[in-house]
Amino acid sequence: MNLRLIATVILCISILNTRAQGRIPAGFTPLFNGKDLDGWHVSRTSHQGTTPDCKAEDGAIVVREHPYGQGGILLSNKKYKSFELYLEAKIDSFCNGGIFLRSTESGQAYQIELSEPGGTGSLFGEMLRVSKTANATKRAGVWKANDWNSFRIRMTGDTPTITLWINEVQMWQVKEPVNDFIAGATTGMIGLQAHWSATFEPGVASFDMSGSWRPDGAHRFRNIAIRELK
Amino acid sequence: MKMTFKSHFAMAACLWLLSVAGSFAQDSTFTNSVGMQFILIHPGSFVMGRFEPPFPKPPSDASKNNNGYRKTDYALAEEFAKRDALPGFTANISKSFYIGKFEVTQGQWKKVMGNNPSAFQGNKVADNANEHPVENISWEDAQKFVAKLNLLDKSRKYRLPTEQEWEYAARAGATGDIPWSQIQQSAQLGSRTTNKVGQKKSNAWGLYDMLGNVWEWVQDYYNEKIFADSVSPVSGKVHVLKGASFTGDVKNATYMTHAAGPGNGWDVGIRVVMEANE
Repeated sequence: MNLRLIATVILCISILNTRAQGRIPAGFTPLFNGKDLDGWHVSRTSHQGTTPDCKAEDGAIVVREHPYGQGGILLSNKKYKSFELYLEAKIDSFCNGGIFLRSTESGQAYQIELSEPGGTGSLFGEMLRVSKTANATKRAGVWKANDWNSFRIRMTGDTPTITLWINEVQMWQVKEPVNDFIAGATTGMIGLQAHWSATFEPGVASFDMSGSWRPDGAHRFRNIAIRELK
Repeated sequence: MKMTFKSHFAMAACLWLLSVAGSFAQDSTFTNSVGMQFILIHPGSFVMGRFEPPFPKPPSDASKNNNGYRKTDYALAEEFAKRDALPGFTANISKSFYIGKFEVTQGQWKKVMGNNPSAFQGNKVADNANEHPVENISWEDAQKFVAKLNLLDKSRKYRLPTEQEWEYAARAGATGDIPWSQIQQSAQLGSRTTNKVGQKKSNAWGLYDMLGNVWEWVQDYYNEKIFADSVSPVSGKVHVLKGASFTGDVKNATYMTHAAGPGNGWDVGIRVVMEANE
């Protein structure tokens, strides 16, 4: 091989690698350093659980249940009001999680659902009655199963307007009629959730929650970045 | 009847014994000068921190499998549930103590502290905010409250409960964790504000709102684990919260939940212990 051919091969590998890893859009500030959870903390008052297994692995934040049946929420230390959030997520199926927006310390938040098969991309509330919900009906056309998918979420205003793009295709835009936070908060944390799937003891629950998180399942997040808006 | 010296002596001894016994007897309830009501809790023991998470079994009819589990997932679930199970430990409550029948209210906080830090006060609630629990208080604020209460009523000693005392009182004799159906009856959950104290069913020992309404600070430092250790840490970053709040649900509004600060603030309050006389 001559030098030009070698250079071309290296360039092609580099481009392919970049596309596979995704990248943070210009103007966004990383929320995750790729190495550890500096800038993040676990909620100790979430009903999902208080001791989830959250760690940095291979350049991604990985969220799992810990111990068995106990989920939890990883929260950014900083609160945000109006922002655009970008991240890439790879989610195991039959594991119900979510991206929390303006979360309180106990995990009360607007939530972008992450649930495969199911309602990934839906707008719900976590411990919050959301006035206007949404479903990502166009998701099937862009979704890459068992692979990395990008999420871009814009949230603005005291009474929030929220827009979701998956793999750069707009899924929906919702203007809430009121600010649904019960204490009137207009700022909050970014959160990453692993749902609980078992109670502390048998015989107390009214129905089986085991389908909320498959054992050994994980949600992975990389290239997490934010752009604060005026 | 002629009284002999012996009978006089026996009667006097009986009266003395009755008198001594009476001085040691504790009233089952007590209301202090601030209007805080307390209930006497007798010594006893319970198992704390026993973790036996249930795991699903494969249905006999595979077509009824509705939780997405593959065959290997059922085996993994059983393996993980058994791997992570904890036996707990016996917590011994060796001395009687009084604990608040209700969470400390905004009205009581104002009488003691002269201020009201609560988020849900005034017209933020539909009824009398003075009867709602005080909230938006740090653990340090709670310590200031009991310190001032001790100055106001020097005949008694007030403090926060230990986590073991709190859970013993909340369980009120229950050995297992609380079923969801009972949580719905006794816990103040699902509202958009705090609620007046004492609106739901009391527990078996007459205590209200041990679950729901506001989280309650206890004395202990947090150990960063799912449940408390038999001996609490001597230091830590934050303190333990028990009982969940009106924003909780059946998953965490249980006796067992071992949470920690800071919480949301606006759903964090206290319940006070008054020590029984020796």
